[in-house]
Amino acid sequence: MNKNLFWKIFFSYLVVICLSFFVLDLLFRDEVKNVLTSQIETEMLSAAKLIELAPREKLLQQVAQMAQITRSRITLIDSRGRVFADTEKDIARLDNHFNRPEVQEARLKGVGKSVRFSDSLDIDMLYVAVAVRGGDAITGYVRLARPLHQVQTVIEKVYQSIFFAIVIVAAVSLLMALFISYRLAEPIKAMERFTERLRQGEPVGTMILYTADETKKLADNINFLVEELRDKIRIAGEEKSKLMTALTSITEGVLILGEQGVIEFASPVLAEMFSAQYDDICGKTLLETFRSVDLQKAYAEFKNTATTLSREIVLGDAEPVIMNISISAVHGHPEGEKTMIVFHDVTRLKKLEKIKTDFVANVTHEIKTPLTAIIGYLETLKSGAIENVEETKRFLDIILRQAERLNRLVDDLLMISNLEMKEMKLNFEKVSLPSAVEAVVSLVEAKAASKKIIIYNNLKKNLAPIRADRDKLTQILVNVLDNAVKFTPDGGSVFIDALTTEQEVVVSIRDTGIGVPADEIQRLGERFYRVDRSRSRELGGTGLGLSIVKHLMIAHGGKMEIESRLGHGTKVSLFFPRLNKGESS
Amino acid sequence: MEERRHTSLHYEQELQEVKNALIYLGGLTEKAIQTAMRALTERNTELARQVIREDDEINKMDTEIEERCIRILALRQPAAIDLRFITTAIKISGHLERIGDMAVNIAEKAIQLNEEPQLKPYIDLPRMAGLVEEMIRDALDAMIRADLQKADKVRQTEQGVDDLNEQIFRELLTFMMEDSKNIHRSLLIMQVSKNLERIADHTKGVADMVTYMLTGKNVRHGESKTSGDPSE
Repeated sequence: MNKNLFWKIFFSYLVVICLSFFVLDLLFRDEVKNVLTSQIETEMLSAAKLIELAPREKLLQQVAQMAQITRSRITLIDSRGRVFADTEKDIARLDNHFNRPEVQEARLKGVGKSVRFSDSLDIDMLYVAVAVRGGDAITGYVRLARPLHQVQTVIEKVYQSIFFAIVIVAAVSLLMALFISYRLAEPIKAMERFTERLRQGEPVGTMILYTADETKKLADNINFLVEELRDKIRIAGEEKSKLMTALTSITEGVLILGEQGVIEFASPVLAEMFSAQYDDICGKTLLETFRSVDLQKAYAEFKNTATTLSREIVLGDAEPVIMNISISAVHGHPEGEKTMIVFHDVTRLKKLEKIKTDFVANVTHEIKTPLTAIIGYLETLKSGAIENVEETKRFLDIILRQAERLNRLVDDLLMISNLEMKEMKLNFEKVSLPSAVEAVVSLVEAKAASKKIIIYNNLKKNLAPIRADRDKLTQILVNVLDNAVKFTPDGGSVFIDALTTEQEVVVSIRDTGIGVPADEIQRLGERFYRVDRSRSRELGGTGLGLSIVKHLMIAHGGKMEIESRLGHGTKVSLFFPRLNKGESS
Repeated sequence: MEERRHTSLHYEQELQEVKNALIYLGGLTEKAIQTAMRALTERNTELARQVIREDDEINKMDTEIEERCIRILALRQPAAIDLRFITTAIKISGHLERIGDMAVNIAEKAIQLNEEPQLKPYIDLPRMAGLVEEMIRDALDAMIRADLQKADKVRQTEQGVDDLNEQIFRELLTFMMEDSKNIHRSLLIMQVSKNLERIADHTKGVADMVTYMLTGKNVRHGESKTSGDPSE
């Protein structure tokens, strides 16, 4: 129930009612009074005339009786104004009545009247006087006086009924106000509740009102607005989720800064990137979050020049991340320019770049070493050592060895580059592993025997055939076996085993050599990577052997795995895919 | 510092600027130490020269922070935590500036060391530098995030740096006793180690100031176990 509305209606009703009764009162109060007074007046006049007609002698005796009948005070006045009879007062104490207005009027017109307030009775008195004529001359006056009690009573009665009427009408209007305000307020209340629920974000349906007036129209409009709002929210939500999906799926981190340099938004990728260092980066400044002088400098420069800039900076302390950042302005914000920073992680790219430059440096170094030796010995020969046959022979041996090493290196490099460019043509055919292994074992046997290393070839003759390029397979096995022999101290042993699974044939070559530290196994396939640089170069390697094996295995559709324990030996497993029945040719 | 506590937005901004400048200075010194240590371990003289060049910026930043703080003191008459923030900012900035100078010292020693063959692979020194860098990081974190625990952690780590300094000293002593040719290089390395130890002291000073700023309690001389005097 709307109290406010109710009171407004009720109060206005009350005002109208009171006003109308007030006007009624103004209009009729004097009217009623006049009508009543003149009525009384006429009555008293006729009474006075009757008294006047009465014989003079009897009059004095009967005057009291007459006063009772006419319910008036009767005063008899002679022509000079002296009172000689009064029904209520002592004549001795009454003054001359000649100047009373009613007497004067009666003297002139025959009849006279006057309404005066009587102090003694505290009420209006009506005086009526009639001249008593004896012949032409006035012999006296009969005056009747009556208090206007009756008029007062009637007016009071009228007021009373007016009051009752007001009370009744007010009661009725109260009921009506209740009813009307209820009828008016109910739809408004319903709309209020509806919009309140909407404001608090509760799910609201459509509002239905059982009225047909203006409130219905309003309710329809509200429904329309709600529908529109819901649509807008849905569209905004969809847009946001699209944007978020885009931001989450790209690898670049995105940051949006407010005008004051405070982070307003960080894409999930970025937030995750720094989740270990910073719990919540929104609401912080760039400096607080990244504490990177370079980033701050870049931002300051962008603020000065207002042109998009991109720069490479290093972030993070424990594990530095190289980021390529680009800073640009976000337009279309009336409340101030925002700034967007896009972070692109280039750590891996940088690492690759470094590997590349390292490779070039390594290659030149590897080529330079034998060349220096060759040039050095040639120069010595030229400057006279050639005379000494013994020396010459020794030098030429060295030169030849170095040239061969150079040749090997170039061959290996060529092969690696072919493999990496995927330009190498492999002639796949059906190969029986045991025979290939046997051939290779016979190649390295001499070297093994010189170090008193025994090679145990445990391959069974009936091992499943594989699909491979025979030459490349030989090269793979030579490289691995040669390594095994090379890095095994004198008197050790090398074991060759095979395992057949459903999809592949695994050949493992295990030695009892020096082994590789666990954290360096990962890097064994890298070009020119040597665990112990000085020692392995002495052993005549190019540093490309395992790298070639790794690439060749990939070209064969297989893989290479290395397990090792430092000081206990290394196990290289070669996974060859099995030959399918259909392609036995 | 909570956001928007002051009716004057401008005042708020001035405080934030001081804070930002401090973080910036912190970042600069952090970088200076890192670069100086890299110059030493990677034997890269160019990096060392870079540290010496960039020290100018650190000094400028220190003066700037001081001027800003004095301006605020004069114009705003800060009270309570703001007053503590401003006064500690001046001291922290001083500590950071000294740390920058020590990074320069290390860089200078690195240049001299790089001219001679390496005495031995650096093992304890980078570890010490790692600890010191972590301390600076934590001290700045403590300041930015109003994190008392980080400040406590800095005070605890300082002991580890002292121990490492001691260990390096003993190790170098044996080198010097072995061969008198080692003395020059050993002394240089010892100075690097000493500088790192003093950086740790200054960092502890920063952490103490942060604790004072946050709590109003002075922890500088109560539970301190420092052997060196950070103000020397």
